[in-house]
Amino acid sequence: MERSHQVATRESSSRDDAEKAQGANRLVIQVENATKIFQTPDQGRMIALEGITLNVPYGEFVTVVGPSGCGKSTLLKLIAGLTPLSGGRILYQGSEVRGLNTKVGYVPQESKLFPWLTLEENVAFGLDSKRYSKQQREHQLRHFINLAGLTGFEKYYPAQLSGGMGKRASIIRALAYEPPVILMDEPFGPLDAQTRMVLQDELLKIWEQQRQTIIFVTHDLVEAVALADRVVVITHRPGRVKDVIQVPMQRPRNIFEIHRQEGFDEAYGRLWNIFRNELNIRNNSNG
Amino acid sequence: MAKEMSPERPRVGASSEDVAISETSSFFWKRSLWVTLLRTVIVAGFLLLWEIASGRWIEPFLISSPSRIFSSMMNSFQSGDLLQHTWVTFQEIAIGFPLGAISGIALGYWFGRSQLLAEIFEPIIMALNGIPRTALAPLFIVWLGIGIWSKVGVVFLLTFFLNFFNTYAGMRQMDQEYIDLARLMGASRWKLTFRVILPAISPYVFTGIRTSIPFSVIGAIVGEFIAATEGVGFFIRLSAGIFKTADVFVGIIVLMLMVIAMDKVADLIEKRVLQWQTHTEHVRIQG
Repeated sequence: MERSHQVATRESSSRDDAEKAQGANRLVIQVENATKIFQTPDQGRMIALEGITLNVPYGEFVTVVGPSGCGKSTLLKLIAGLTPLSGGRILYQGSEVRGLNTKVGYVPQESKLFPWLTLEENVAFGLDSKRYSKQQREHQLRHFINLAGLTGFEKYYPAQLSGGMGKRASIIRALAYEPPVILMDEPFGPLDAQTRMVLQDELLKIWEQQRQTIIFVTHDLVEAVALADRVVVITHRPGRVKDVIQVPMQRPRNIFEIHRQEGFDEAYGRLWNIFRNELNIRNNSNG
Repeated sequence: MAKEMSPERPRVGASSEDVAISETSSFFWKRSLWVTLLRTVIVAGFLLLWEIASGRWIEPFLISSPSRIFSSMMNSFQSGDLLQHTWVTFQEIAIGFPLGAISGIALGYWFGRSQLLAEIFEPIIMALNGIPRTALAPLFIVWLGIGIWSKVGVVFLLTFFLNFFNTYAGMRQMDQEYIDLARLMGASRWKLTFRVILPAISPYVFTGIRTSIPFSVIGAIVGEFIAATEGVGFFIRLSAGIFKTADVFVGIIVLMLMVIAMDKVADLIEKRVLQWQTHTEHVRIQG
């Protein structure tokens, strides 16, 4: 079982290599000057995102951090093609995204497992019968359920799972069908601190094996630094890219002692500086 | 209700409530025994009171009595009369109910999918819904004659609207995020309909089916009251006309059993289809 899975990963990684070799640039997602304006109920206009530009190369783990309500989730929805742009454009592998981009996986804020399907059926949802043979499906399923430590719970319905288990299931549901890009919208938001850390650790371990591109939205600065290769800071309304910080920490990382790791303080310090400035500005303007 | 508790599988992240329930299951068992006992005593007492009152305090032709009802039921079944009437009413419902339910569900689903359709037809449907539907029964007799088809029409009408409204309400409650996720995972139209939308609205659909069961019987009976030569409704009206009160009650009992039987079947199907739900909500209500 293990061996044939390795075959599957090798195939997919060779496919990725081919994709990378083909494309003149190695960017998988390009957000160019993206703007999103919402109509407010009283006929006003609310600028959620303004002039966002962001280039994401293959295999990068990017976190997007900003205060709540700054349009981080909207950015993910734009990349997935779930909501139309008001301006600018978004490219996937060099071509403009029009409508839904089924090449991206999406992990929503709440687990949003389909409550009428068992854990197993949920995880298998994206494993299309055209792309995967019955055997491959089985292998993918076993592999990811095992990876998330959910073996033995295959036949459980989501309502029977704890919050952390539901979260894990929601993540491997997006991973199982191997989309080249995965968008995560504060997936660990509502969890308690311990569960959060365990899941962050698991996510990094899984990612180190699979190396998909991940765009991960969070409002937690520690989480943003701990997971990322690069942290994108977005400002409060209208959401603009304030800064992009490289995280020079080595991998694999130890989430549980992330503070002691070299490079963490530096990156976290820079990030905190940006936020402190934001807060100061607001305090001054209030006072 | 209490009997449903014991076979309940424990939730994985068992909360203290769940544990408490399983520990006290013997208490619930005793309690359910008591409930059954009390219920039996109340029903028996009522029947006894009825039997005593009839002929002593109240004229028997007004209220008959349990013993009279029982013996007329035996007589009418033995003569085969009542069986024939029951069979006719059953046919009317057996044709009208599924037709009404299926077309109501289909139209409700369709309206939910197409905003244009909903916008055009919603006020019309609402206006039609304002008509007391049994008032249309005489019209059906005019159109379809006094045979079973006019009653099938009335049953259809009553069943259709209830199923339509419930399914449509379900479609409007549908969580957009489930649809988005399924589409991002590459679900085909078929898969989206049968693996996502229909299961998501199935609690609403079943509410429609369950509430329309007694109404389908009402439809058949009203039709038979107006003009018929056969059927339980006809039997009741005929018996009342010649003051055979016991026979009226016999007819009522047959109808009651019919509704109970249909409800039982629907319940069995619902339990199977909504298996994912019964695990959660019943516990929560009782906990």
